[in-house]
Amino acid sequence: MRSIILTSLAATTMWFAQPSGLAWAHPHVWVTMKNELLFAPDGSVTGVRHAWTFDDMFSAFATQGLEQKTKGAFTRDELAPLAKVNIESLKEFAYFTFAKMNGQTAKFNGPTDYWLDYKDSVLTLHFTLPFTAPAKPKVLDVDVYDPTYFVDFAFAKKDPVALAGAPVSCKFTAQKPNDLSAGQSQQLGEAFFNKLDTMSNWGAQFANRLVVTCP
Amino acid sequence: MKIMKHGACLAATAVCFLLVIGVLDAALAQNPFGGRPAGPPPMAPTGFAGWVLAKQAEFYRMLAVALHAAKTNASATAGLLGISFAYGIFHAAGPGHGKAVISSYLFANDETWRRGVVLSFVSALLQAMVAIVIVGIAAVLLGATAKTMGSAVRIIEIGSYALIALVGARLLWSKGRGFIAALRARMQAQGQGHHAHDHHSHGHNHDHEYGHQDPYGDEHDGHDHHGHSHGPEPRDLAGPGGWHRGLSAIVAVGLRPCSGAIIVLVFALAQGMFWTGVGATLLMGLGTFITVAAIATIAVGSRAIAARIASHRSGSGVLIVLGLEAAAAGLVMVFGLALLTGYMASERMGLF
Repeated sequence: MRSIILTSLAATTMWFAQPSGLAWAHPHVWVTMKNELLFAPDGSVTGVRHAWTFDDMFSAFATQGLEQKTKGAFTRDELAPLAKVNIESLKEFAYFTFAKMNGQTAKFNGPTDYWLDYKDSVLTLHFTLPFTAPAKPKVLDVDVYDPTYFVDFAFAKKDPVALAGAPVSCKFTAQKPNDLSAGQSQQLGEAFFNKLDTMSNWGAQFANRLVVTCP
Repeated sequence: MKIMKHGACLAATAVCFLLVIGVLDAALAQNPFGGRPAGPPPMAPTGFAGWVLAKQAEFYRMLAVALHAAKTNASATAGLLGISFAYGIFHAAGPGHGKAVISSYLFANDETWRRGVVLSFVSALLQAMVAIVIVGIAAVLLGATAKTMGSAVRIIEIGSYALIALVGARLLWSKGRGFIAALRARMQAQGQGHHAHDHHSHGHNHDHEYGHQDPYGDEHDGHDHHGHSHGPEPRDLAGPGGWHRGLSAIVAVGLRPCSGAIIVLVFALAQGMFWTGVGATLLMGLGTFITVAAIATIAVGSRAIAARIASHRSGSGVLIVLGLEAAAAGLVMVFGLALLTGYMASERMGLF
């Protein structure tokens, strides 16, 4: 009897102890996003323009108590204070946007413009992140994800990505997290037991990834 | 020798269990208002954990749909309540909800299973009530914004974490003294050659509780559980002093509202269905109670096994149990301090 109890206790402990147990948070915010990559006339990529549409529950929560002239509608001005809070909060999380040019981390400056709009009872946050150093990479990766999984990001079904002013030779793909994990589930164990700096990039595997190639 | 081995194995298992629950509870969540850069990326949710994670996210989304449905169709309310209950069960497996604190508290304090379940129930209910009161007062009466509510929750959170640290410190003070006293007594006894002397009653003097106990047992007030009582009897539950002993722990844990519940309540309010939201929140609390009570049961069970094994070895066995109790008490305090200083973050509540 005792051995049964001990075994089940140990099993429970093992179950809790497995690394996957650490990510037991679940998202409270769902974002459907459309992204635009901005290019300068000389063909260098200058930044990313986001349009993040929040789920109805979070939109109701975020707009609670905000002043409105017309019930059920919010103007861009009425939403300006909320947009400011949003953007200021996002700074700590690097705007959940992580880019690489030819495999090298590319940094962003703070958002140049931002606003919220309200349509069909949901909020959409628009903002542009300019690259610190615009360049002409052959391959540009932009990952969007929340490492803490408070926000669940997904590409919009229709036109999730647009290239604004890009050279005609540039092509893009939008990869969902599932596309990525398909070939990587076997590497899970290996990745976990590898050294820590591997771990620190690990969450990126579950990101929504934009890949732009300009040969 | 065999028992000794078992004891050590169990000790390791129990400590592991409490620690892991703690890590689980802390998870990796961070508050966007917390002022810290994003932490390490999450592990891939796989297997059972991934299933629980997917389920709670699914139920959470279903809540929104069900609330919409209940607005036009009264019969959909039953479905909404069912979903809320299921969400509560799965959600409580995530960070927050005080599983670690309650488990460690129960372990350290040698609580009965019944008291463990009652503590879980009251703290889960209190969590739901706090969410309802915050939204009721802030949003319904005052028309406060989400940002204001976030600040209110933050203040309550700090109070809750400070209380957890205090409860832990108080528990550690009594359990630590008990352990040290027993350790000293054993070393003295060994020094005098009185091997295997009966330290059993000595050790268990410290188990009653921390409110009015004395490590030497000579200032015990009118209660009858002197000497050999192994913790509170069921009749202590509602008796004089029975409730207030657990009250500090309940309040400490239950004070912090579930941020998911607050979002659901505000969403219900926006639909003009605040009272439906209240019902859903209470059912969520009931679901949370089921999960927390299940984990509390494991904590109380492992404590009982430890005590039983210890009873076979009057000397070191009792010391192991007392040491585990002191460690569990210390954990409660560490959880409180870690939460307070932001090293450990509970559920996040933010604005984007």
